[in-house]
Amino acid sequence: MENNVSDLIVGLMMAGFGLVGLFLVAGAADVEMYIFGICLSGFAVLFDLGLIKRYHDRRDESRATARGNTHV
Amino acid sequence: MPTKIEKDAISGQDTTGHEWDGLKELNTPLPKWWVYVFFACIAWAAGLCVLYPSIPYGRGYFHGLLGYSSRRNVDADVAKLVDQRKDSMDKIAAMPFDAIKADPALMEVALTSGRITFADNCQPCHGAGGGGNPGYPALAAGAWIWGGTLTDIQQTVTHGIRSADPDARNSAMPRFGADGTLKPAEIEAVADYVWATFYGHAEGKDVSAGAKIFAENCAACHGDQGQGNRDMGAPKLASKVHLYGDSREAIVHQVNLPRQGVMPNWGTRLSPGTIKAVSLYVHSLGGGE
Amino acid sequence: MSDHALAEPRVVYNDAVVKKFVVASLFWAIVAFLVGCYIAAELTWPALNLGLSFSNFGRLRPVHTSAAIFAFGGSALLGTSFYVVQRTCRARLFGGEALANFVFWGYQFFIVMAALSYVLGFSQSKEYAEPEWHLDLWLTVVWVCYLLIFLGTILKRSEPHIYVANWFYLAFIVTIAVLHIVNNAAIPISWYSAKSYSVYAGVQDALVQWWYGHNAVGFFLTAGFLGMMYYFIPKAAGRPVYSYRLSIVHFWTLIFLYIWAGPHHLHWTALPDWTQTVGMAFSIMLWMPSWGGMINGIMTLSGAWDKLRTDPGLRFSVTAVGFYGMSTFEGPVMSVREVNALSHYTDWTIGHVHSGALGWVAFIVFGSFYYLIPVLWNRKALYSVRLVAWHYWIATLGIVLYIVSMWVAGIMEGLMWRAYDKFGFLQYSFVESVVAIHPFFVIRLLGGVFFLIGGLMMVFNVFMTITSESTERPREPLIAPAMLAGA
Repeated sequence: MENNVSDLIVGLMMAGFGLVGLFLVAGAADVEMYIFGICLSGFAVLFDLGLIKRYHDRRDESRATARGNTHV
Repeated sequence: MPTKIEKDAISGQDTTGHEWDGLKELNTPLPKWWVYVFFACIAWAAGLCVLYPSIPYGRGYFHGLLGYSSRRNVDADVAKLVDQRKDSMDKIAAMPFDAIKADPALMEVALTSGRITFADNCQPCHGAGGGGNPGYPALAAGAWIWGGTLTDIQQTVTHGIRSADPDARNSAMPRFGADGTLKPAEIEAVADYVWATFYGHAEGKDVSAGAKIFAENCAACHGDQGQGNRDMGAPKLASKVHLYGDSREAIVHQVNLPRQGVMPNWGTRLSPGTIKAVSLYVHSLGGGE
Repeated sequence: MSDHALAEPRVVYNDAVVKKFVVASLFWAIVAFLVGCYIAAELTWPALNLGLSFSNFGRLRPVHTSAAIFAFGGSALLGTSFYVVQRTCRARLFGGEALANFVFWGYQFFIVMAALSYVLGFSQSKEYAEPEWHLDLWLTVVWVCYLLIFLGTILKRSEPHIYVANWFYLAFIVTIAVLHIVNNAAIPISWYSAKSYSVYAGVQDALVQWWYGHNAVGFFLTAGFLGMMYYFIPKAAGRPVYSYRLSIVHFWTLIFLYIWAGPHHLHWTALPDWTQTVGMAFSIMLWMPSWGGMINGIMTLSGAWDKLRTDPGLRFSVTAVGFYGMSTFEGPVMSVREVNALSHYTDWTIGHVHSGALGWVAFIVFGSFYYLIPVLWNRKALYSVRLVAWHYWIATLGIVLYIVSMWVAGIMEGLMWRAYDKFGFLQYSFVESVVAIHPFFVIRLLGGVFFLIGGLMMVFNVFMTITSESTERPREPLIAPAMLAGA
């Protein structure tokens, strides 16, 4: 439960940062802001993909446990 | 977790009765010496605040019983040093160069002052011992652009070169290539001539075209023998030392788009006596005239 | 573990994030030591700047300091604080896995982006606060999440009292947040530009900067690592903490007094005399509160001194406390205006910083990690205890070479800069002092290389421990389920 709420809030926050990153790249006035913007949105995408993977990992795990199979 | 005070067998102290992840704490009293030294430090700190400027209020602050002021102390220290140097530096400032050179004791002071002044102010560009750097004349080599007598050096140091000083030494070689006065082929030709005639790389090439261009455009300042002209600040070309490099490329570059080095007018920063001292030092490096 | 813990429902700790921080910390340690050695070589042989803007000393130095303080030290602090707060509160980290992972990856992202921006030439020119405004804002977000996790875990604890280590960790987190926000207040020239101007100007800017800079030392490098010490030394020694009362008194005096001491970084500057005096007075009063931590660390060993023979990890921790005591004595001495007149702007300051950074910070991390790593990865012991002993000796030798060479170089510089000859002229030019300290720069580099070699030994040892065949630890039954949860 706690993990799902955490996933949701952090996931949305990172999606927001991903968008901020895109805006920074689009308007970048110097090389640093350009690089930062690209990296920020890339980081946000990867982080949210990680959240999705962990969510499924947890589900597989609990299903396996329910079946009595402890070797995931 | 219930509070369970135990006695520690090794130190004989009681524990506080709490436990976290197996960690416990003893209820040992504060070490006496620790408390006393702490109080002593507080007393010392309080003493500092009474003696020295410390507590701010409104627009002012408590100045302390000693009347301490770091600014006043520094001014006093500087004044003391200036006072110590005063006699000799006044003499150096007032006397002509020849008279200073005739007085060995005064000369020792001048060279001592000149050495440290040079090391802290001139050396970053002109190099240790006046060895020079690309774009910064080698003072020890005697290849003077504006003259190497003591008064010449004093003048250059005081007013600078192409500086903001109205009496600065000024010269501006025209931008023959960049402004289109000479075509690229002509610049190559004149570079061939200078390279062969003044830099000593004759190699049997016909440089008559370049010689003609040189006579029409360059000789007025640099002299027909490349001997230079100190009144105009035109460097001597027939020399082993060249300010912006000894290569043929450097010649082409300089004709095309000349570099115009700047030297600060030190008169705004160094006293007249100090400038005379540093002039004597520079003169003594091996290139003086 | 005592009996009642087993009777109560088991807490499943989040150890996965702790492991990540431990690995990151060791990675950044090597980066920091390597860059440190390189810039020490640049100072010795300037040709190593390579004539490139990216590799010159001015840009690589903040890479070194940030990698050492924020990447290596910071990752160690965040990781151990997550470990300690869970154990001593008997509560899983607040905020769920995703938030903890965000703090880990967000912090690493900050470090990488900051290092990149330094190399590209973007800097606020504030020591230890070089990152520009956009990175500062990002760090603020990460740090607030960190505070949220830590505070939330303390609030939901199942222990009645808060353990002393957590006071120190919390003081570190809260104060760093305040310092970071105030010192980095700046106005960007555009939302799309990485360039900004500080809202402070002149001497106020300098004072805010050194209020920040000194308390970065006080709360990041001191309070945080004292938290580490208060957990790992009694753990490794198997002894109770020497004095609860001392820990209370030195905690409150330390955090109250530290925050005022910053002006001693600005002795003999445009900072008003009265501010300098206040900074000096507080620095002197700070001596005993700092030593309170040292006494508690070392005296906890009483009754367990024999463990130093068999546990080189504990030897690291105790030596760290010794270096901590030495630097916190040296600091107040250097803060006295008359001493500072000699030491200011010399390499003595660099030596002082490194006796704290290498001797205290790095050693307490090494000691804690050598204890923590077998526990975290559920191994009976480290791959090689002898290698730990070798690491200890080579690193100690490195520190000694470093600090002694910088003492000599610093005092020599201080004396040369103030020397006058018989006529009242300066005896030496600046460049002559640079020539004079050259040999000591070579010795300093050698010390750094020794420290780097020690760090590589540690990384090898830890790698072999983690990848070795699993040898389950017999004790600490709470650890095993945590492995499952951390996946």
